[in-house]
Parts: sequence; structure tokens; C-alpha cells
Amino acid sequence: MTRSSRQAILDRVRAATSSDADRYENIPRGYVRAGELDLQGCIALMTERLHEYGAEVVECAPADLPHIMVRQLQHSGRHHFVVPTGVPAEWLGSGVTWMVDESLGHDDIEQCGGVVTGASAGVADSGTIVLHHGPAEGRRVITLLPDFHLCILRASQIVETLPEYFARFTDPPRLATYISGPSATADIEMTRIKGVHGPRFLSVILVRDDA
Amino acid sequence: MDPRIAPPFPDAALPILQNTQLRKNVAHATDVIQEKRNRLVAEKQDWQELRTAAAAIRAHVLANLATYLEQFETNCTAAGGVVHWAKDAAEAREIILEILREEKASEVIKIKSMTSAEIQLNPALEAAGITAIETDLAELILQLGKDEPSHIVVPALHVNRQQVREIFARRMGLPGLPDDPEALTAAARTYLRKKFLSVPAAISGANFLIAENGSVAIVESEGNGRMCLTLPRTLIALAGIEKVLPRFGDLEVLLQVLARSATGERLNPYNSLWSGVTPGDGPQRFHVVLLDNGRSEILGLKVERQTLQCIRCAACLNTCPVYRQTGGHAYGSPYGGPIGAILTPQLEHMRHAQSLPYASSLCAACYEVCPVKINIPEVLIDLRAKVVDQEREETKRWFDPMFMGMKVANFAFGSAARFGLAQWFGRLGLRFFTDKDGWIRKLPNLGARWTLSRDLPGMPDQTFRQWWAEREAGRNKEAR
Repeated sequence: MTRSSRQAILDRVRAATSSDADRYENIPRGYVRAGELDLQGCIALMTERLHEYGAEVVECAPADLPHIMVRQLQHSGRHHFVVPTGVPAEWLGSGVTWMVDESLGHDDIEQCGGVVTGASAGVADSGTIVLHHGPAEGRRVITLLPDFHLCILRASQIVETLPEYFARFTDPPRLATYISGPSATADIEMTRIKGVHGPRFLSVILVRDDA
Repeated sequence: MDPRIAPPFPDAALPILQNTQLRKNVAHATDVIQEKRNRLVAEKQDWQELRTAAAAIRAHVLANLATYLEQFETNCTAAGGVVHWAKDAAEAREIILEILREEKASEVIKIKSMTSAEIQLNPALEAAGITAIETDLAELILQLGKDEPSHIVVPALHVNRQQVREIFARRMGLPGLPDDPEALTAAARTYLRKKFLSVPAAISGANFLIAENGSVAIVESEGNGRMCLTLPRTLIALAGIEKVLPRFGDLEVLLQVLARSATGERLNPYNSLWSGVTPGDGPQRFHVVLLDNGRSEILGLKVERQTLQCIRCAACLNTCPVYRQTGGHAYGSPYGGPIGAILTPQLEHMRHAQSLPYASSLCAACYEVCPVKINIPEVLIDLRAKVVDQEREETKRWFDPMFMGMKVANFAFGSAARFGLAQWFGRLGLRFFTDKDGWIRKLPNLGARWTLSRDLPGMPDQTFRQWWAEREAGRNKEAR
């Protein structure tokens, strides 16, 4: 049944568009693709946007990352943190309990206070953190169930505009999550409420690998 | 919300116009969204260029739809997905039920999907003994309150916090629940968390299908979408065939215009993209149901085709002076407002919902805000012509006072003498309805459609033609 429906739909679509000739290359793209800010400007804008979303942002030098990380985690008042398998071992400082995600069950992840991951990119214009769920970003579920997400973003990963992000990743990722502020709803009288289902608390460490 | 049984728009709208609470709720919500939308559009220097590109991408997809659908199918299948094709709503429902039967699912969690409402999926699931659980906060409010969606993006905008409190308190068994949105949202979070972690199957819509790599995109705010896309064993995505985009990179345009137009944000809090099945991450069985349901017919029509460019942002609803008064229920369809007024009758093959193309003042505010530049007024007028053509075929039109009135008017306007005579009769007749101050406040029959909502100035003692003739006669006298 589906087989014949497939053919029927495609035949009808072909018949409806038989006289069309339209090339992809001719799509007008007069919108802003490259940004104007230098890296310092991008970092400032990214930080401003993240603050607008209620996220916490700290900057640090690459060498200071492990102890800044532990400081931020202890500051969050939580104790158990999930990390994906691809996070470098030297990041995992002492003072908190780490749970490396080697096929953890949903309930185990749910029990954790927070999660620490890397990122694939940051888009300053919209304050977006991009996860492609590679080894340092982990499975989608680990950045979803815990209530607190500490994300490590390197300065060199930040672009100003969304088109610049797409220009960097012409090879489409198999999985991607774009996070622009914490989970929110405005379904009741348009009142914005933070934290419906995803993590309610987002904290970002900007690693100044540009210096 | 079945357009086949819904009353005509004017009949449905009248009682709603008397519901002041609903009108207050709708006005407040649409004001807030519009204010945010306008602010964020104003800050975007290249807004018009983005609109132009977005419209061109969507038009290009439609012109090459078969190619892109096949590309999507090939790439989605290669990534481990299963692609199904459904000619109509009934076939789509059957495909989805069949998958759920195979999964032996007695419950299914759902992401908000207008396409699911279009095919009337929830009643079909219920009839098959499968409990559908809506996970979007607004959809949950409607489902628990046995209500219908009234907006494409914020479906429960007609309900206020006291009403939500009442529904949640009753259906979740929480009599002490306060009515502040924070507490209500927390109640929904707790209620749904258990479901997310235990229900084995999910149904989603799709914002975009990417032909280049067979991936599907969902944009959302709450995280309920991410839960449904990540936790269950099986995932079914239902998408209209028009939802394809050629390449991953085209999202750089469409995500920007969608977020700003829909919710007045630079980007939605969460955008998710996935291709087929990824071992160890998310559902291990993934189905896409591609739905035609009248779309291929719309595709073949020159003026109407642009209807399919729509990305369901609902900016046209928020700005529409008609929608802002009536809300969405009057449209009798999951798709309300200006886009619903053109989409619904076409999805029904112009056999139902013929009153909807008239539910507009043709002010074109919808066209101005549309991020993909759909000329809605143009389509409305074309559809009105179709409705009139249909009526011309009907024999019962001879009993329709409007039709007869037009026939008489046509005859009267055909000659100057007949027109003058008609004016004389008109003045004579209207004199009975004209108040002392020269205004007409109440007319009988068809005339009541005018005086129901506004007064009519009475006819002057002299017509323009009479005045002109007198003036000319006076001049001639002076000249002599």
C-alpha cells in the first residue's frame, strides 16, 4: 500500500512541477553572512547574550581550566557530575564525584546533580551553544536529564553570526543540539518561566585559547 | 477541530465575540508576541534580505519537490530511518497505528504537531486503545481540559492562569495548587517526568527535513521535544511533504526568520537535528511518515502553490485584525488565522471550510510580516473566486437573497434610467428606517448585516445626479 502511495505522490508532485526550472545556485543570498566583530568583540557579545539568558559565564586561561572547573562545580552546590567519555582526563579535578558516561542508564543520569561537557561551537549573535554530540559533548541524554549543565567553550570556537557557524561545518553533523538559553516556556499568559524539562541552570567557562 | 463538521466562520465567530475573557486572553498574548517580534526584527539590519532568501529557498524546494523528497528518503534510509508515504490522513493514521501495534505500545508521548491535529491522530489512537500524552505545556493544558488548540505556536493562548490552575488541580489531583505560572509549570514538569522516562514510543512533527543528509529538525523551547527525541525506544516523525530543505546550510536562513517571527527570539532555546538512528544515542527505531493529504494538488496551482512555503511561525495570526478578535476556534481547523484561511479549504479540496477565505479584511498585514513572503491576500481572493464559481453551479442559488439581490442590482445598474428609478425607490424605502437625526440604525434582512455592527447615514434628499443636473441648468441660465 505504502509502495504504491509513494509512486502516486511522486507522480502527482512531478506532474505539478513539470514546467518548473529553478536552480539552487540562483537563490539570492544578500543577507549578512560574515560578522564584523573581532574575537574580543565576539566574546563580549557571547557573554552578554548568555547573561541575558540567566547563564553564568567565567573566563579562564587554558592552564587554569581544571581548578576553575572544580570551583564552579563546588559553587553549584552539587556533588555528582556526569562527563562524556571524550573529556580529557586532566580536566577531571578532585573534590567532586565524576560519573563517566559509559552507557549509564537514564535513571543514573537523572540522579546526577549536573553534567560537564565540551561544545562544538558558539554563536555570539544569538548566544547559542552548539553540541554535535562528539566524544567530548556526549550522548544527547546526558545534557538533558541533569538540572545543571557546565559547558566548556573555547574562544576559538566562537563565531559572530549563524551563517558563519554553517560555513565552518559544511559537512552536516549526524546529531546536533543548539542551545540558546535554558529550557523555558511562555505558554501561560506569555509569562516566561525558566526550566520546564531541560536543565534549568547553564554555566559556561570560556577558555581563552586565543591568548 | 474537524473542518468537515465545523460551522461556517461567521456562525462560529459570533458567540466567541461575546466571550470577553477569551478576547482579553487572545489580545494580551498576541500583543506580547508582536511586541517581542517587532523589536527583534527591527534590530536585524538584513531582515528583508533574509525574507527574500527564505522565500526563494522555499519556492525552490517546491519547484523541485520530487527530487528533494527522493533525496531525503535515500539519505534518511541510509542513516537507519524508515520512510513511509501517506496519500491522505487515513493512510497516515493507519501507518502510525501499525508501527505502534508492532511496538505493543499502550502509551505514546507526543511533541506538539499541527500535522498530527490535521490528520486527527489523537482520536484514532484513543480508538485503538493507545493513550496519547501531549508533552508541550500548552497542549497538555488543552488535553487535560478537553479543549482545542487556538494558535499554531501557542495553542493555549486563550486560556488564562486561573483556568490552567483549575484544570491541573482537577486532573492531576492537586487541590492546593496555586495559580502562579511558575507553580503550574513545575506541576507539569513533575507530571511528565515519569512519562518521559517510562513510555517507549514518541510521535513528533517536523519543522524541516534536510534532503542533503536525511536529517530532521525540531525547534522548541521547553525541552519536552528533546525528551521525546532522546528517551524512547521508538520515534515516529510525521511531516507534510512540503517540509523539505535542500541543504543543512539553508537552516542559517530559516532558523533565523522562524525564531524571530514565531516567538520574538534570536533563536529558539532548543533546536534538535538528527539523522536516522545513532547507535547508543536516542531511539533505535526511527520512522518518518511523509504526508501528502492534498498538498500535491495545491502544488499544481499557480497562485495557490505559495501556501506550501509556510513554515508555521504564526506571525500572520498575531497581526491579523480578524484573528485578534476571534482567536483560533472560529476557524474550525487546527490551522487558524490568515494562513489557516487559505490552507484549510485547500487541504479539504475546496469541499469544506469555504467560508474561511472570507474571514479577512484583505488588509495584507499578514503578507507584510510573513517571513517567507506568502501573498496571503492574493490567495484569499483567488479562493473566493473559486467559492463563487462553485456557487454558480448550484441550483439552490435562486433561493438565495444575496444572489437574487445581486441579479437585481446588475439589472438596475445596467442603464441610467433604471439606476435613477432604483435610487428613487431606495430613498423612499429607506425613509422608514431613518431616525430623526438622519442616521439608520436598524435594517431588516440582509441589511441587518451592516447595521448589526455600525450605523448607516440616511440617504440625502437629493442625489448627486440630481444636484449636478440642477447646477448645470443654473450655469446655463447665468451664461445667457
